[in-house]
Amino acid sequence: MKRVWRGSLLTMMFGVLLISSASIRAQETQFPVATKTLKNGMKVLVQSDHSIPNVALYIFYRVGSRNERPGTTGLSHFFEHMMFNGAKKYGPGDLDKVMEANGGANNAYTSRDVTVYQDWFPHSTMPLIFDIEADRIENLSFDPAKIKSEREVVASERRLSVDNDNGGLLDEQLWATAFIAHTYQWPVIGWMSDIEQWTMEDLKHHFAMGYSPSNATMVVVGDVSSEEVFQLCEKYIEPIPAHAPPPPVTTVEPEQLGERRLVVHKPSELPLLLVGYHVPQSNSADFYALNILRTVLFQGESSRMYQRLVDKDQIALDVSSESDSSFDPALAIIVAQPKQNIDPAACEKAIYEELERVKSTPISDQELDKAKNIRLMEFYQQMRTINGRANTIGTYEVFFGDYNKLFDTATNYAAVTKEDVQRVAKAYFGANNRTIATLLPDSEGRAK
Amino acid sequence: MTFARNIIRVLAVIFLGSSLMATAEAQSIKMPPHEKIVLKNGLTLLLMEKHGVPIVSVAALVKSGAAADPVGQEGLASQTAQLLRKGSKKRSAQQFAADLDFIGGSFESGASADFSIISVEFLTKDLNKGMDLFTDALLQPTFPQEEVDKSLAQSLDGVRGSKDDPRQVLNAYYDAYLYGGRGYGRSAVGDEISLKKITRDSIAKFYAANYAPGNTILAISGEFNSVELRKKLEDTLGAWPTKAVAPVAIPATAPAKGKRLLLVDKADATQTYFAFGNVATAVGDPDRVAIRVVNTIFGGRFTSMLNEAMRVESGLTYGVRSSFDPRKEPGPFGIYTFTKNDSTVQAMDMALAVLHKLHKDGISAEQLASAKSYIKGQFPPTIETSRALAERIASDEFYGLDDSEVNQLEARIDAVTLESARQVIQKHFPEENLVFVLIGKASAIAPAVAKYAERQDGREITAPGFWPGS
Repeated sequence: MKRVWRGSLLTMMFGVLLISSASIRAQETQFPVATKTLKNGMKVLVQSDHSIPNVALYIFYRVGSRNERPGTTGLSHFFEHMMFNGAKKYGPGDLDKVMEANGGANNAYTSRDVTVYQDWFPHSTMPLIFDIEADRIENLSFDPAKIKSEREVVASERRLSVDNDNGGLLDEQLWATAFIAHTYQWPVIGWMSDIEQWTMEDLKHHFAMGYSPSNATMVVVGDVSSEEVFQLCEKYIEPIPAHAPPPPVTTVEPEQLGERRLVVHKPSELPLLLVGYHVPQSNSADFYALNILRTVLFQGESSRMYQRLVDKDQIALDVSSESDSSFDPALAIIVAQPKQNIDPAACEKAIYEELERVKSTPISDQELDKAKNIRLMEFYQQMRTINGRANTIGTYEVFFGDYNKLFDTATNYAAVTKEDVQRVAKAYFGANNRTIATLLPDSEGRAK
Repeated sequence: MTFARNIIRVLAVIFLGSSLMATAEAQSIKMPPHEKIVLKNGLTLLLMEKHGVPIVSVAALVKSGAAADPVGQEGLASQTAQLLRKGSKKRSAQQFAADLDFIGGSFESGASADFSIISVEFLTKDLNKGMDLFTDALLQPTFPQEEVDKSLAQSLDGVRGSKDDPRQVLNAYYDAYLYGGRGYGRSAVGDEISLKKITRDSIAKFYAANYAPGNTILAISGEFNSVELRKKLEDTLGAWPTKAVAPVAIPATAPAKGKRLLLVDKADATQTYFAFGNVATAVGDPDRVAIRVVNTIFGGRFTSMLNEAMRVESGLTYGVRSSFDPRKEPGPFGIYTFTKNDSTVQAMDMALAVLHKLHKDGISAEQLASAKSYIKGQFPPTIETSRALAERIASDEFYGLDDSEVNQLEARIDAVTLESARQVIQKHFPEENLVFVLIGKASAIAPAVAKYAERQDGREITAPGFWPGS
């Protein structure tokens, strides 16, 4: 199955849609989270859970490719890689070696809006983790040899996830076409020519811009007490001075006034279709109604789009929708994987007809209930691991402004009506607001 | 789209999850208690109450997988498992989807080489509805012709589409070439040729021959009352008629001798994807814990010897890993990575040099201690959820492993010494006898990679199937 997001890790798909219905029992969506804002402005959230002897620690920095400019696109992501390549106490290669030798592991991801660092470790390793994190936030070094080799690593990552991946390639083209003003237009990984050319000065500037403790939120979930976490924060993190946050991104994407369309020709077994619609940012009041709409249309084999394109018309292998958490208005993307020799236009037509149907007639009560039940199940599946909970608490805090909104989702979804769903379908899923990206197989080199 | 720093960790998790590498861990973490009941009709029932999250996770393992596919009908076990929910005596495919989605349930089914598995989850409040859907699919599928046609057509295009991304098909080509198209060399999902040979009749026959209570292990974990559930299951699944099932014979394959290389041409590729190794170990190998420790050091984590050399120090690739995939019979060992076209030889030379270094220098006491801590520290989250636990106890039961795989893991890891590591390297990590598979732009790399093997084979990625003989 082709999915645009295959290959990207821990994508905050659906912006962590914590849903629920009236049937949610209150105590199950309520758990204590201890919070503390350090003197340098970093907010720390702790949730204790002793079911396994492990800890998940996330640090969200509010900086991503949205804060970049032409010429250095992809710098946030490259910088994320450099955060593992040596600081003052833990030199090049030391961070990973020390962490793994003590039972820990790490990763990180970058999106258009945020850069997120993740550590997973047994409880006994926690002081070491804080020492490592403090060292790189305060004293990152920029070794020219590491910059050179890491540049090659990122180029390899780009070849893997864009050049040799139809979904990644088409997704990049879609955003570049749907946005003409806002910085969401360039890819998170950056254009290849920028990957080849950014300099040490660019890296230093990015560090100074994005990595103030006041621009970060830490979430710790697992076999810990809030007291010990706060003590470690006071010792290791609080002394790191704050500085100015990144300059605000002020450009507002102008309203799209007509359909846009792009085509990619490539040797390929199957075509591919993406349709992107501009939708509001995560903290919009329409967030919940939009998610219910997308659930009714795309989730499960009883969903309207699956029933139509995959089951009845049999023109697609798969149809789905994706929408990342975002600070600014972004895209909801419909992904259809047409069958071989099917014209993507046939999928487009079916998709538009189904969209018209939800605009002209309200969804049924049964569909509304179903969507809420699906969200409820997803909620539990996300929240049942210490890792999923750390990511979810952080996402709410960062994108919705308050982790407590996580506990309001039941109420917020219960409040969505059929009319709301119909209204958002009309408001955002119109022809003038859409960009269509089609990948057409080149006949050369193609099997018959 | 987000971009993550490394894929090693995720690959490692997938590897452990799919291969069930017969290990586990730590004094601090124990397998939660569970009971085993064999019903009168032969069904093995494993029940594990796990409270805290109101979810029930069901894993039904049928002891016949892709290895049971008739030759030429590869993909039959997978199709049978996928079609279970596509029509029953009680529900049409559409009704099943509507009922399942209404409770927010999930239903996944498929076949690996050794077994077929159906994995279902639903909320505890929907226990009755969820179990009804599950038993309906398992016991009463009707395989409607229309649904069979749809599924086969989709799978056929799914195989075609996977060839657009070499990362998705490297393993299929590697296994096919390594095993010479026999045994574990046959594609579990089938290919463009075999899927056309599968019919409704062959699916119904596969079901009738293999889906039986005595051939099934049913594991359930999560929030439920096991006394009540057991009673219910005795009434429903207990009535599943007994039937004899012929055990699946898997042709055992000895490791390949000498060196051979398959180059799969993808004319537009900007990087070469390659794998090499040999046939290695079966599940339950007495050396399994030591193998895991050594492989962690060699290619199983971010600071592995391979990743240090090929990513961290040279930037040749975004990621490289090595893995053992033990199965009922000896499964593959491989080193897997990718690099841009013009560094193909450099990367292959380096991977071989690291393998040579492992044999020549062995591992250090420091590396050994580090890997032990790493495996112990990273184990607990792998059995954190009811779903992971249900799938694990079902597969452990299938492979004849017990809870000591988890409960004794720490002690077994501690028992690994430099000497036992040395023996494991000599015995289980290939060096002289290697099978190579490359997917890349043949016009750019073919002459240069000829040096790696006496025997070379080639094919187009657009050619149907995964094995040169197909």
